Amino acid sequence: MNPMSRRGILATTAALAGAATLARPALAQARYPARPLQMIVPWGAGGGTDATARIIAALLEKELGQPVNVVNRTGGSGVVGHSAIATAAPDGYSIGIITVEITMMHWQGLTELTYANYTPLGLMNRDAPGVQVSASSPYKDIKALAEGIKNSPPGKLKASGTGQGGIWHLALVGWLQAMGLKPDHVRWVPSNGAAPGMQDLVAGGIDIVPCSIPEARAMLDAGRARSLAIMAQQRDPQFPDIPTLKESLGVDYQTAVWRGIGAPLKLPPEIASTLTGALERVYKSAEYSDFMKSRGFGMDWGDGAGFGKVMAETDAAMGTAMKAAGLAKS
Amino acid sequence: MTDLLEAFRMVGQMDVLIAILASAIYGLVVGSLPGLSATMATALLVPVTFYLSPIAAVATIITSSAMAIFSGDIPGCLLRIPGTPASAAYTDESYAMTRKGQAELALGTGLWFSAIGGIVGTLALLLMAPALAEVALNFSTFEYFWLALLGLMCATLVARSSPVKAIASMLLGLLFACVGMENPAGTPRFTFGMTDLLGGIEPLPALVGVFAVSQVMRALAEAEPPPLPRRRFGSILAGQWSLTKRYQWPMWRGNIVGIIIGVLPGAGADMAAWVSYAMSKRFSKEPQKFGTGHPEGLVESGASNNASLASGWVPALLFGIPGDTITAIAIGVLYMKGLNPGPTLFTERASSMYALYIIFILANIIMIPLGIIMIRVAATVLRAPRASIMPIILLLCAVGAFATGNNLFAVLLVAFFGVVGYVMERNGYPVAAMVLGIVMGTMVEQSFVTSLIKSDNSLMPFIERPISAVLAAITAGALLWPVVAWILRRTAARRVAPQRG
Amino acid sequence: MAENSGHVRGRRARVEARSLRKGNGALHLSDRVTGACLVALGGVTAYGASLQPGVPGQDVGPSVFPMIIGCGLILCGAMIALGIGHSFEAPEEVVPAEPGQAVPQPPRFAEWRAFLPPLLLIFYMLAVEHLGFVLTAAAITLAVSLAMGARWRLAVPLAVLAPLGIHLVFFKLLRVPLPDGLLAMPW
Repeated sequence: MNPMSRRGILATTAALAGAATLARPALAQARYPARPLQMIVPWGAGGGTDATARIIAALLEKELGQPVNVVNRTGGSGVVGHSAIATAAPDGYSIGIITVEITMMHWQGLTELTYANYTPLGLMNRDAPGVQVSASSPYKDIKALAEGIKNSPPGKLKASGTGQGGIWHLALVGWLQAMGLKPDHVRWVPSNGAAPGMQDLVAGGIDIVPCSIPEARAMLDAGRARSLAIMAQQRDPQFPDIPTLKESLGVDYQTAVWRGIGAPLKLPPEIASTLTGALERVYKSAEYSDFMKSRGFGMDWGDGAGFGKVMAETDAAMGTAMKAAGLAKS
Repeated sequence: MTDLLEAFRMVGQMDVLIAILASAIYGLVVGSLPGLSATMATALLVPVTFYLSPIAAVATIITSSAMAIFSGDIPGCLLRIPGTPASAAYTDESYAMTRKGQAELALGTGLWFSAIGGIVGTLALLLMAPALAEVALNFSTFEYFWLALLGLMCATLVARSSPVKAIASMLLGLLFACVGMENPAGTPRFTFGMTDLLGGIEPLPALVGVFAVSQVMRALAEAEPPPLPRRRFGSILAGQWSLTKRYQWPMWRGNIVGIIIGVLPGAGADMAAWVSYAMSKRFSKEPQKFGTGHPEGLVESGASNNASLASGWVPALLFGIPGDTITAIAIGVLYMKGLNPGPTLFTERASSMYALYIIFILANIIMIPLGIIMIRVAATVLRAPRASIMPIILLLCAVGAFATGNNLFAVLLVAFFGVVGYVMERNGYPVAAMVLGIVMGTMVEQSFVTSLIKSDNSLMPFIERPISAVLAAITAGALLWPVVAWILRRTAARRVAPQRG
Repeated sequence: MAENSGHVRGRRARVEARSLRKGNGALHLSDRVTGACLVALGGVTAYGASLQPGVPGQDVGPSVFPMIIGCGLILCGAMIALGIGHSFEAPEEVVPAEPGQAVPQPPRFAEWRAFLPPLLLIFYMLAVEHLGFVLTAAAITLAVSLAMGARWRLAVPLAVLAPLGIHLVFFKLLRVPLPDGLLAMPW
């Protein structure tokens, strides 16, 4: 315990003195990177995306031998930060964390930006939504819930977990469509994030919350809510008891939120491959998987091309769902 | 018992103690800078917590947020610039005390009752967490709607100007809250095609603008006010004990209201301070003294906002539901450090829980000596020439607004709200009511629309559910009060007309 | 009694009010004018609200809330213009200055000088990326302190030290990315 706590003291004093940079082993003394990098986060400090970006930045710093400074560029519901990433100089010194919203905002007519405005570098995380009901809900499994939805008059059952047209709203729409139902068969109650939605679920105000499982985890652990299924291809290794929609219901529908690292277009290919290589080592490091496990975030890796494919697929799926729900402008 | 001993040992680690002390100083400094809120103080600590042990990490969050909420009172009292939104409710009151030459009493009141509120809030967390959490879970959007309306009604009770102007200011604030796409419909509203407005208008730039920038503007427009009489800055804690005895009942009411509001997710220290200040004025024996430098309201609301800070952790620890933005950040840190929120945290990791309680109490105790030092240092601004203070405040406004999102647009917002606040003040419109409108706007609309969707457009659940019925009755009373008071006052004035004035 | 305990604050307000009446009190408007402004603002809000599109699945669309606010503003504005509720305002009548205390004369163009700070903030927004934080901040500090009547002996050292101190705290301790511009700091 003694050496531990001494290290703790050092860390505390050093960190609070503001020198929150990690010790930098001079691993790579190649020409790139020759100066500190900046990682733009389109969301506020303290949130899940911010935490993910900060752990990636800390580990990337070790890989690249240069400081990676995290800069939160908030505003405009993510539009401001995402456009800051896209319009930065393509010199490899400005990168950013891109979130699933980039495939949704342009359909709503909020911005001209699409996923095609970035050089994808690496997919770092993916979380599929679960289908959560209250512990006191009459629906004990996903089959019963699906039957219940089909047999109820349109608009009777209510679901919540994000704002109107938010990612979980679209997940619900996609699932209803995959079951051959109308997108508004279950009525969407907009909420200010997943946590208030889960609270309202437990309070009995709504019936379903299709948010990601880490967001619902505290209520699941408390025995106040149940997760009936996950809208993914496979079960989540961290929550092995939750079946997929396909195996339990025979409905092949999946969607997810993801976070990846991207850079502006026209990034020189050799810099892109350096960064992708470094990100892959970050992804495979024990620190990264420990962190993701502690937060309950799902792990998924894709290199530049793989991340690009994920973005393109999501973009098409979101477009379909948003048009069906009458949320798309174009 | 072994858990408790283990908890003391965990807190007694050198790294934890250093973390508490360092983050206390940090929180005091950040909270006292206009434009930097307690939330921001906490958010900026997150990267630091990566390198700390779990207990030390949580300790930094607890300590710095408690300190920042208290020290937000300091610039409010000395310069009429509230450091955090939670202080805005009683800024005028404490500034009036400073003008009366009672700065030390005002700040001492803030410090003493903040510490008491924090400790009482912690005891509530310690003794009643599960029960309080059940209460919080029973609050649905119907209840939140009435709660938000009640919060808005406080604007008319707090203001010293005409209630009509207070309501107009509040409506203006609600209008600003409409901007952006963070509304239940998710459609951009009043953004005039500007990307920067999509996210809406945050309360912080508005607060900085209407209080700090407009204060600098006033300083330029007016001649130097007659200087405060030069004298030794008196003792800070003297007189607090007699205030505690004299205003014992308001203090307890402040603590209880703070605890209840803090437990409710979505309503935090800001609202606790407003509601308590308004209640204090409503139930005071001498309401006419409010706004003129009267400590009663400071006692109640100072206790209330710090009590809410501790009880805000109840839903966060039990269900992972953030009570406010500070606990939202704290939940992230808890997960990261393997202290996953949930009932098991209270049973299986009881020693860690006790350690959290000890840290809360410790933080509120060291708040007193550190706060006294901070007040002594800060009081020097009363003696410094205005021409050297005001430029620095203006710079802090710019940098603080920028730092909230590293977005220069916030600086423009601050400038805009500076002008708005200045013009409003000149014409007798209370700016604090507008800030309240901006803070509460989204909650009012969100809870109203979602309630209607859930009830299939029936208004009955708004008054059928037991808690919401009570809240509705209170709201109606608060709404009708100015009218009743106006009629009463007219008849009274007619009766004793010659004595008026 | 209210008068008595409120006299300090009240006096200040009165000094303010009088200085405005004497100087060019362009911004001290009558209730009639501010009330009319609110009515107009309410009207624009209600009109803007009526343009909001409906949202599928929500009967209470995005227009209802701004519509209520708009109507409320019209109502309040009308009441203010007509002087209803005025009796609640803290009395602001002019009282003679206390003996022996000279009424401070407001500086010339006082009312318009008040707009210096917001203009400086806009200057900050436009210039900080090019000039860098330290130079922009120095210019702002100098402008405000001189406008407040500081001597050069105070204003210049302040304009050098204040930006450096703030840069040190925000850039180094709070890690806010303030732009370097033309003058990078050694830390």
